[in-house]
Amino acid sequence: MGEIGSLAITFAFVVSIYGLLAPLLGIALRRQDLVASARGAVFASLFLLSVASVALLSALLGRDFGNSYVASYSSAGLGFWYTVSAFWAGQAGSLLFWALLLAAFGSAVVWQHSGRRELLPYVIATLMGTLAFFTMLLVFISGPFERLAFPPADGAGLNPLLQNPGMFFHPPTQYIGYVAFTIPFAFAIAAMASRKLDDEWLRATRRWTLAAWLFLSLGVLFGMQWAYVELGWGGYWAWDPVENASLMPWLTATAFLHSAMIQEKRDMLKVWNLVLIILTFLLSIFGTFLTRSGVLSSVHSFALSSMGPLFFAFMGIIAVLSLGLLIVRLPSLRSTAELDSIVSRESSFLFNNLILVGAAFSVFLGTTFPLLSEAFRGVKISVGPPFFNQVNVPIGLSLLLLMGLCPLLAWRKASSANLKRNFLLPAAAAVLTAAALVLFGPKQPIAIAAFALSAFVTVAIGGDFHRGAMVRRSHGEAYPVALARMVARNHRRYGGYVVHIGIILLFAGMAGAAFSTQREAVLRRGETVSINQYTLRYEGASTYPTSTSLVTAATLSVFNSNKPIGVMNPQRNIHRGHEDQPMTEVAIRSTIWEDLYVILAGLGEDGTANFRVIINPLMMWMWAGGILLVAGTMIAFWPERGESLRNRARYLVEGAP
Amino acid sequence: MIGVRKKIFIAVVVMVAVGGYLAYSGARSSMAYYLTVGELLDGSAAVQDSDLRVSGKVAVGSVRWDQVSGLLQFDATDGSRALRVVYRGVVPDTFKPGADVVVEGRFDGTTFTAVRLFAKCPSKFEVKDG
Repeated sequence: MGEIGSLAITFAFVVSIYGLLAPLLGIALRRQDLVASARGAVFASLFLLSVASVALLSALLGRDFGNSYVASYSSAGLGFWYTVSAFWAGQAGSLLFWALLLAAFGSAVVWQHSGRRELLPYVIATLMGTLAFFTMLLVFISGPFERLAFPPADGAGLNPLLQNPGMFFHPPTQYIGYVAFTIPFAFAIAAMASRKLDDEWLRATRRWTLAAWLFLSLGVLFGMQWAYVELGWGGYWAWDPVENASLMPWLTATAFLHSAMIQEKRDMLKVWNLVLIILTFLLSIFGTFLTRSGVLSSVHSFALSSMGPLFFAFMGIIAVLSLGLLIVRLPSLRSTAELDSIVSRESSFLFNNLILVGAAFSVFLGTTFPLLSEAFRGVKISVGPPFFNQVNVPIGLSLLLLMGLCPLLAWRKASSANLKRNFLLPAAAAVLTAAALVLFGPKQPIAIAAFALSAFVTVAIGGDFHRGAMVRRSHGEAYPVALARMVARNHRRYGGYVVHIGIILLFAGMAGAAFSTQREAVLRRGETVSINQYTLRYEGASTYPTSTSLVTAATLSVFNSNKPIGVMNPQRNIHRGHEDQPMTEVAIRSTIWEDLYVILAGLGEDGTANFRVIINPLMMWMWAGGILLVAGTMIAFWPERGESLRNRARYLVEGAP
Repeated sequence: MIGVRKKIFIAVVVMVAVGGYLAYSGARSSMAYYLTVGELLDGSAAVQDSDLRVSGKVAVGSVRWDQVSGLLQFDATDGSRALRVVYRGVVPDTFKPGADVVVEGRFDGTTFTAVRLFAKCPSKFEVKDG
């Protein structure tokens, strides 16, 4: 099986080189048959990489420990699903996964858009060029089918930290997000190369961009969830380079989603959109690379990694080619419209873009600070979380403000009557929230600002829903029917608002961290520790084996103002094969207002236990915000009735002489 | 009447200035020298009393951890030399002998007192040794 797998990867490399060259030659020589054969190359690469993936999966599930990859990332005792997840746990496997996804998305696009004769050849060339890079890494640097001279009796097993449902979903969603941005990027390149510089490339890839953004968001959220329940330090975000690498393309992609709307509606920001999608693609590649190499977490491994220079060379080539192409096309990219007023919906989109890109830039700066300071000053200096927080908290607050202003402002130019009418209620809600918090809550200016702004946005968005429904009701529809029909008529707008409400809940959850408290306690059996209204009594610890590990669990009785509310069991487990790395399993008790989070930090010989008890407010709001974000994106994604008709009409009008 | 372009230009300049100032002050308050164990030991006099971030590997056999008090002592090594590290707090699961660690704190010439301890993230875990 292994031979078939590595042979299939080698063929996929050859086929993708062909798919890169054939369409370009076909255009140069005016030979349609070459372009058509390149389409075949895309499907062939999907077939070949599927064969390789099946070969790897069957090696994993067949416990073929003669395969070096299988021996490194799985073991005989590993359950079915975690064995499947070993596919993307290691470097070679995750590269194969990347290539497989790209071939699959590429095939779908070629199938779906076979009618776009001008764009398609360049789209294929871009996709297959990217695929050639990844299959090259698989063939020459790191393949998943290397054989071991002396097969071990059992594999090393999957790192126990990765044995968590969050880690089953986080890498694939993250990768789907990264890979899917190749599609709009390829269309942007095709638009520039073929001089079809209208918004065809944007409209053709709107759903791909939305889907890519959704999966990237999910990847980040699953990653946060995993860090929260599995890493056991009480938080979900540490501004670690790998986390930053997933955040940066998300920020530029969010900017792109918004500015693309301005180009579609007003024919503005054409160059900006091209720059954003190029940046997003580069950052996706950068993210893939960072997760796989660790250049920045230990700066010194860079020189040792054989992939580092290759990745940088690839990113350099992409940057030079795409930005060069953009500069050549600048004269044809003049915008036909101008901003009418600074107080308009367009300008709120514009500022949202600047802020998001500014955030991405600050994260980039902070992440690469050691490399930059060494290049400029000769000393390696790094910046920590205070840097990221100081810059990004004000950025987050201004984004909140814009999110609230946007639905209140009219397109083109907002009148003062329009402003007065729409602003009154949201502003009142913000003032009331702030006043209530100042009177009754802890005095935390940033958190108070965040909650006040959240109230402002929620009321502003709610008002927009309400006004729209009232207009329909005046035509004789019942209110709920009017509301539902209004959303059904404009999926993108109202789906977008639902996403915004999700983001508000996420922000509120983050702001809640300002009110978190924690305590450390060394307890003997029967002793208690109190935090806020909770009291926890340590009842003792017990040790018992399970099929994969040795579990040591502490038992704590939990009281809420002297009323017993349950038992919590934080654990320290030792997984078989990983005896030097005990795993902390935190115990979490969630309510809608706060999480009680207990870590068993250590356990002495005599049963004395060291606990860290944390209260994390509003964590549920964050996860609920994530669910709303998904729901809203799905609404925006769903085709509207009459959309295809409108597009066809538009096509006919444009195509008319 | 100022033109729309000019207004937007002014707004952008203000935003960039505010962002730049925040970034500058944030960076100043959290800057730390990022050194390897060897670099720290070579130039230890120069960086005493400043915030440091030091990367190395956990020396096998050097870890002493009192689970009850939470006091962790170990040697961080660059392969040839070792730095004595003292840390009190929750030890991340990724911490183990042989793992890459980054410690943040101060160095008094003999012992490194860490206030934060990071061990390499598992997504980069490659083949396990031994």
